[in-house]
Amino acid sequence: MYPFWEVPFFTSGLVIALIATFHILPCHLATGAFWFTVYVERKAYKENRPELLEFVKKYSLLILIFCFVIGSLSGVGIWYAATVASPRGISSLIHNYVWGWATEWVFFIIEIASIYVYYYTLGKIDAKSHLMMGWLYAWAAWISMIIITGILAFMLSSGKWVETGGFFDGFFNETYWPQLFTRTAFMFGIAGVYAAIIASTIKNRQVRRELITTAGLWGVVGMVAGVLFAGWYLYKLPIHAKELWLDETLPYLGHLINIAGIAYGVVLMWFVICCLIKPRMVGPVSGILVLLVLFMGIGAGEGFREGIRRPFIIDQYMYGNQIVARDIPAKHIKAEIPIFNKDGFLNHLYFRPDKVDPNNQIDLLHAGDVIVHNQCGNCHALDRFGKMRPLPDLLANFSPESPEDIEGLLESLGDYPYMPPFAGNELDMKAASEYLFSITRR
Amino acid sequence: MDLATYVNAMRDPAGLPFYPSIFQFLLVLTFALHITMVNLVVGSTFVAIWETWKRNEYGLRLSKALGRVITVGMSIAIVLGVAPLLFVQVIYDPFWYTATTLSAFWALMFLVVITLAFYAGYGFYLGNKKAEVMEAKTGWAWVAGGLLLLTALFIHMLSMEQLMPQHWKEWIVSAQGTVSYAGGEFHGIEFGRLLHFLLPSFAVTGVFLMLYSSYFKDREDYDQAYLKYVGEKGAWLALWASILAIGAGFWWLGLIPSEFHFARNPFFLIGAVVGVATTAFIGSSVYKPQEKAIPAAILMFVSIFIMCCAREALRMKHMSQAGYSIYNYPVNADWPSTILFFATFVMGLFVLYFPAIAAYQAGKVKAGEVAIIDPSIGRKAVSAMIGWFVIVAGLGIVISLKNGTLF
Repeated sequence: MYPFWEVPFFTSGLVIALIATFHILPCHLATGAFWFTVYVERKAYKENRPELLEFVKKYSLLILIFCFVIGSLSGVGIWYAATVASPRGISSLIHNYVWGWATEWVFFIIEIASIYVYYYTLGKIDAKSHLMMGWLYAWAAWISMIIITGILAFMLSSGKWVETGGFFDGFFNETYWPQLFTRTAFMFGIAGVYAAIIASTIKNRQVRRELITTAGLWGVVGMVAGVLFAGWYLYKLPIHAKELWLDETLPYLGHLINIAGIAYGVVLMWFVICCLIKPRMVGPVSGILVLLVLFMGIGAGEGFREGIRRPFIIDQYMYGNQIVARDIPAKHIKAEIPIFNKDGFLNHLYFRPDKVDPNNQIDLLHAGDVIVHNQCGNCHALDRFGKMRPLPDLLANFSPESPEDIEGLLESLGDYPYMPPFAGNELDMKAASEYLFSITRR
Repeated sequence: MDLATYVNAMRDPAGLPFYPSIFQFLLVLTFALHITMVNLVVGSTFVAIWETWKRNEYGLRLSKALGRVITVGMSIAIVLGVAPLLFVQVIYDPFWYTATTLSAFWALMFLVVITLAFYAGYGFYLGNKKAEVMEAKTGWAWVAGGLLLLTALFIHMLSMEQLMPQHWKEWIVSAQGTVSYAGGEFHGIEFGRLLHFLLPSFAVTGVFLMLYSSYFKDREDYDQAYLKYVGEKGAWLALWASILAIGAGFWWLGLIPSEFHFARNPFFLIGAVVGVATTAFIGSSVYKPQEKAIPAAILMFVSIFIMCCAREALRMKHMSQAGYSIYNYPVNADWPSTILFFATFVMGLFVLYFPAIAAYQAGKVKAGEVAIIDPSIGRKAVSAMIGWFVIVAGLGIVISLKNGTLF
């Protein structure tokens, strides 16, 4: 295992979640916005209304400054955060999908080239070519979504990949199409919010009203279609994931989906009331408020997606603690739990105390500290006042009176549908129990 | 567990989806593209500050033009940087992940600092865009420049830590047996190496200024004296920066472990020869910067590419000391996805011709005029994208039906 990085109180997993949630707004805007921009620009040329081009310029600048700073950097940020929080997890994705990411990178290059040329050549190249540049960007951005959705969906439902190890068998898995359609619809919703906010700053009153209404229509269609596709998505979830959610094995999943649903409803109402019925109500203040609601909804939706994957970080293949869960014969991959149980987990670690005397309490605590951090720390805070499933509090619920009580709990971990089994031999379990017992006494 | 066992055991169990030498070539090529653009951004930032400081009309005009280069260049540098970041994780995963996790805090700080640098760059560009000629301000450029140097230091440190595997364990495991999980390690700064990456920023920016001068020379609405000023400034800057970069290169060479005998490495030797030849060529162009701009740019990129090859050879030397070689990484070749990438890559080059020609022609017409682009170019580019979508979506539907994953 790689060195472990601990984020006190919050866990490193929450760092990824925060960056990922933050990334979704600009990246969905980047993918959806240009369909709207091109629509407005086309209208401007077709109806000979150059006043509409003010919006085109402003909206493109927003995309440049927001999406290509925050969007691209938070995208790289997810990668870095995943690297430091779950290095084996991201490594698994990369070693299976490197060509997918590299293909997406080609479209990133097309995106960046076309958006800068689009922004800086408005009025400097002929209208037809400029419009075509907008189309080029719109397609490149959406195709980048088509690609990344395959990798994200693979983490939730790995499809036939577990049998064949084939790139496309994992890519076009059970939740790929519904996720793609949901995200596509949703990107129009997000694009509609930003478009309405930008349109509200246009000086010409008639143009402002017209563009807000149009953005509202795009938003309503996007959000309604999104609800329908989201229903398909939820229907296509793996049985295991549905059980965690619908059987209330993990009640917080139900709360998250409710929050996401409420946020969705609020945004939809904002489109209907503020954009379609009373366009005067749209402005930076109401826009920022609705963005905050969106952010909350996305955070809840992402939290749900993360939660229903449990205990895996990659469906069926890798547990949340980065241990390989099963054989993948097509890739010559062996499940690691039996190996660790036989050889000892500690013996497979490089960053560990050199000597562990089973009869020495201090040695056992040091060894247990390493084992627990590696096997539990990805999902659980180890501090008493930790905010993310804090182990001291969770263990206190069982009122352990000795390390042996905790050993019993560790032995039964695999019986919980959302927990990976403990990996290691008797010495590992003894050391982990000693350490876990010690943190309940802090 | 010893170090060699660790680094080899940590290779991803899935193996590589194609042969390691292909990833290695792509890593070096895309890194060369990335570092060239990084050099342009860093160099442009400091040249913009310098030119504003002098407060002459041409200098201020150039400084404003560079404001746009900083922001656009930073976007392109970040996007180009995604590819080497990807490929290094494919073939050097045990080193990349270990070093980055050991310095997790700094890895994330890098993102914060580069984001701030980006916005500072925009502050400089947008702040000066509408200002009068003699009113250019450099406050934001100073901030951007300082933050860019900080990011260079962070990335340098992360790269160096990958080359120091023999120290990893002692950094976080104490003699008493406690392990640190703080992710705050910061080791391995070598100023010779760092300078060898930073000084070329001015050489690259100098060559860029030569290209700028050459590109606008046919524009009637451009002041030819201004273009001459920019071209000559660029050539002199490129010349002196190249000479200093060669000096820094030899400083770095002196820091490399002697047992590597790196001075005899063919990539180093070719790199040194090409670097000196490029410098000599730039030296010959200081009075004709416009005429020699394009060959100087080609030579400059070739030099950077060969330097990147030499850097890769050095990395392999370091890693072989830990018992690691990418050439015995297990391969589970996945031909369909490999074809997908290379076909898309070729298509991408074809498609990129459209924005490239549009940008080129837009810059060639006078202010207020409109460039007419051959409409078939844009149509073909967009058609290629739609074609890609149709093929991949069709493939996806067939595979999904075959695997029973669609409904």
